[in-house]
Amino acid sequence: MQDSEDRIIVEHVYKTFNVYLDKANSIKEKVLFWKRNKKEKREVLKDINLTIKNGEAVALIGVNGSGKSTLLKLMTKIIYPNKGKITTVGKLTSLLELGAGFHQDFSGRENIYFNASIFGLTKKEIDKRLDNIIEFSELGSYIDNPVRTYSSGMFMRLAFSVAINVDADILLVDEILSVGDQHFQEKCLNKMKELKKEGKTMVFVTHSLGSAKLLCDRAVWLDKGVIRMDGDTKEVINEYLKETT
Amino acid sequence: MNIFKKLYQYRELLKTSIKKDIGGKYKKSFFGILWSFINPLLQITVYAIIFPLIMRNSIENYTVFMVCGLIPWSFFTNVINRGSFVMIENGNIIKKVYFPREILPISLVTSEAVTFVISSIIILGFVLGYGMGLTVYVAFYPLLLLAQYIMQIGFALIVSSITVYFRDLQHFIGVFLQLLFYATPIVYSIDTIPGQFRWILKLNPMTYIIEGYRNIFYYQQMPNLLQIFAVIVFGIIITIIGYFIFNKLQKRFAEEL
Repeated sequence: MQDSEDRIIVEHVYKTFNVYLDKANSIKEKVLFWKRNKKEKREVLKDINLTIKNGEAVALIGVNGSGKSTLLKLMTKIIYPNKGKITTVGKLTSLLELGAGFHQDFSGRENIYFNASIFGLTKKEIDKRLDNIIEFSELGSYIDNPVRTYSSGMFMRLAFSVAINVDADILLVDEILSVGDQHFQEKCLNKMKELKKEGKTMVFVTHSLGSAKLLCDRAVWLDKGVIRMDGDTKEVINEYLKETT
Repeated sequence: MNIFKKLYQYRELLKTSIKKDIGGKYKKSFFGILWSFINPLLQITVYAIIFPLIMRNSIENYTVFMVCGLIPWSFFTNVINRGSFVMIENGNIIKKVYFPREILPISLVTSEAVTFVISSIIILGFVLGYGMGLTVYVAFYPLLLLAQYIMQIGFALIVSSITVYFRDLQHFIGVFLQLLFYATPIVYSIDTIPGQFRWILKLNPMTYIIEGYRNIFYYQQMPNLLQIFAVIVFGIIITIIGYFIFNKLQKRFAEEL
């Protein structure tokens, strides 16, 4: 049942991927090698139930291939579940990969507009945030140079600044807290804490258990597509470490 | 309808991706936006030399006649050709960020429409250059543009979503468009075609579009409104069908790309 406090509701979600062992991409291949077109179903998530409330910061942990990123992608609606239902309430931003939709030949400023518009912002809303974004990125006068002239650090800084300033109710983050140098990383972490204080809902996929402890009050441990444990971050991480080391 | 609300919410994305499409195409090239003119002009030159040679025709001001068909035809083929690539081209974003996927084909058709309006200057140039002058019937240009635009939105939705699953479609489209070029009255006029083949042209919606442009620019007479409205109705039906196909297929885009 939906509570007004609930932000993300995952109900009995199953996700299987078709893994083509040898995919026939064209008719010719399909006709000639029809026997070869083997498909293997791989169940990535099995009967996941999860409710995340307003203002919670949740870390999804687990070894590679446990389904954490898939679950995150399902929440963003990039992919859809085979069975079950996912409901999200409020504006949602995902930081799966920074700088998606950047165009190399356009200036940093123009790219802010491109990138922020992908998150569903209108021109007015971007105008309002523009100064904040530029300031946060610390790009200064470089902001009017084409993005292709940027160093990879500058590129990431700009992308992160846009994503973090979108002002979403729900923030989904996949392993990207390794942006830029030490100084900028700390700045990002502080910004995240600030957002948490403001009552934003956040879900992190991370292998960095340190930052999970720092930011999240709840952790969900995924193991082979099922929820192994769900609870206080420290407890879950302790159990997780016992198992994996 | 949900889709209109979604598109309205993402209107800035629609706007910027149209801008990116038009601006990005020529940003690095020396001639820039001039290519919008150079490309079709070169094509016109070649056709204007070849077709009068191989076809005996008595069409007055043949070059103008042909230009009226060729420019809208390029609009059509650009949309279909690029439409079949648009999802694959943007695979990276589709896999990483959620946004209404319909934005991609819609902005493609819109930016091609802008390019078409710009290259319509070529039509004007030829009409005026041959001393044919302009009449009030030019006022029907927006109606024709609208009819073509709606229809192509539908086609773009269909081809863009199907190619994700079936890449061969790109090649089929190439061949199909070449055939369709000759099944559309672009370089010839309908009445030079023997009666028993005319039904092919009559089934082709592009025939009515091109006849429309030709009426307002070349013959300078009232276009056949009934035909134009028929194309609009056809376009709306195709767009609705296309939207359903697209909606069904888009759920697994991120996995298939």
